[in-house]
Amino acid sequence: MVDFLQALVDGVMLGATYSLLGLGFTLIFGVLRRLNLAFGPTILVGIYAGSHLSLAWPGALVPVVAVTVAGALLAGVYVERFSFRALARQAPVVSMISTFAVWMQLQELVSLLSPSRTMPYPSPVWLPAVAVGPILLRSDGLLMWSGATLIMLALFALLYRTRFGTTIRAVADSSEAATLMGVNVAMVGAAAFLVASAVGGLAGVLIAQSHQQVTPYFGLWATVKGMTAMLLGGAGSLPGAVVGGLALGVVETQTLWHFGGQWRDLVSYALLFLVVALSPRTRWGSGL
Amino acid sequence: MSLLTLFGFRILLGLSAYVVILTGQISMAQAGFYALGAYTAATATAIWGWPIVPAILLGGLVGGLFGFLVGFPALRVRGLFLVIATLAFTEIVRMVFLNLKYTIRVGDRTIGPAAAEGFRGITYYYENGWSALQIMAFTWLFVLAVLAGFWLMDRSRAGAVLRAVGEDELAAASVGINLTAAKVAAMAAGGLVAGLAGALYAHYATYLSQEEFGALLATFAIAYPLVGGTGSVAGPIAGVLFFSLLIDGLRFLGDWRNLLFGVLIIAMMNLRPHGIIDVGLVRRLRALLHLRRERAYAGD
Repeated sequence: MVDFLQALVDGVMLGATYSLLGLGFTLIFGVLRRLNLAFGPTILVGIYAGSHLSLAWPGALVPVVAVTVAGALLAGVYVERFSFRALARQAPVVSMISTFAVWMQLQELVSLLSPSRTMPYPSPVWLPAVAVGPILLRSDGLLMWSGATLIMLALFALLYRTRFGTTIRAVADSSEAATLMGVNVAMVGAAAFLVASAVGGLAGVLIAQSHQQVTPYFGLWATVKGMTAMLLGGAGSLPGAVVGGLALGVVETQTLWHFGGQWRDLVSYALLFLVVALSPRTRWGSGL
Repeated sequence: MSLLTLFGFRILLGLSAYVVILTGQISMAQAGFYALGAYTAATATAIWGWPIVPAILLGGLVGGLFGFLVGFPALRVRGLFLVIATLAFTEIVRMVFLNLKYTIRVGDRTIGPAAAEGFRGITYYYENGWSALQIMAFTWLFVLAVLAGFWLMDRSRAGAVLRAVGEDELAAASVGINLTAAKVAAMAAGGLVAGLAGALYAHYATYLSQEEFGALLATFAIAYPLVGGTGSVAGPIAGVLFFSLLIDGLRFLGDWRNLLFGVLIIAMMNLRPHGIIDVGLVRRLRALLHLRRERAYAGD
């Protein structure tokens, strides 16, 4: 029972960052109706930029976070121009394949510009772990959870309480109707992309400080986690992505505790397959 | 010689994605079928001691069977979500092979899939003293058979049915085409061809590691027909040539090659969104041939 609860708590803390990745995916998918496979690699660029800075300037946490987010934003702008703006008139699948090409580029770029494949990432290690009864709350997990929750609250305030958020949701609901109401759909699409990249960059900071290192495979990892979180939540629903991320985190940590590490990824992929293949058709493509 | 053999695997893989794309579906499961075919056929020759031809055919059949099975859930989803579901399938297959252990000891060697260490000792060609030329000829026997089969299918009713489903499902259904049968059949045929390709590849490579059968391979499988064009079976071949020449042609750039590679793919997609050999080009070529024939008649 304690094992189960411990895995549950770990899962929720881990899942909060999956929720952030899922939200980033959902923002882009909801507004553009296209999948950005390069979302994970975009974050990868940010984390590597932050890692480089932390090597050059040890102990500087705030600048490292800023550079990580800036790197993700920059890579996000590149992906948007290259794979979405330039291909806006082509079929969605064309955009998706081109994001895959961009993914290869970004992954190659960070590998070439880094001295080693595994790069360190700073973590505020002075935080102690907290014990609640028999359950141990690790400091990096707590930081992940609280950071992700704060970012989610800010994002939801932006989307549901501001005029800008309303236009984003309007475009996601029906881009034609939004155009008729005088919304510049292309600009809103680019803006949603930037917001998603910033959220992704922050999620990257939280995840990287927990892992304390990063490899070029992070791009694939983040893309799969974000996509699974989004799809578990119903593809297009923002609260759904939050729930989907938490569910994925819990399933992963439970699998890890009860069956061992080698089954963890298998279970998350199986979940992804079942959710997409077995859920009713009408769920796909609803508004935000 | 070795390059021609490699072209053979790539063309088969491209063709397996091509037949699925004809029905308007994009499947990333081809890499999974390829892996299943590779591991099955390699197990058949290396562990069970089967001769090569039944082993390759078994690899193809297993690929086809899984294609058939994946075809059913895939009916419920389309477009980008089918891409994700099939990608998940490929990764599931990869994870299973990452965990699968089924080995025998022959002398001091371990043969068979040994989880993360990969599948060692697929030495059928080597043991039977096949030359590189023989391996190439054997591979191309299958490539030509599949090419001929697909070429004939394209000009038959079956090809028309698949293309009709790909063009407009509603219209196809309204003229009495069974969508389920068409899509599942295309998926099974794609699985069969990918399984054959994997089975042949396993014996050529002599060593298999699950890492090879991931998202990258799946993307190449669909990129061959998409970039090459789906107008005819020549499309996937053009795609394979395009990518292979690109990869070798850019070798002088060293590590920076992948950066340019992405730019070129995107440029291609902008210039020829329906591939190098699209339906329009095929039509124009046919018209050109017709014109020549008519001129020849006029000259008589």
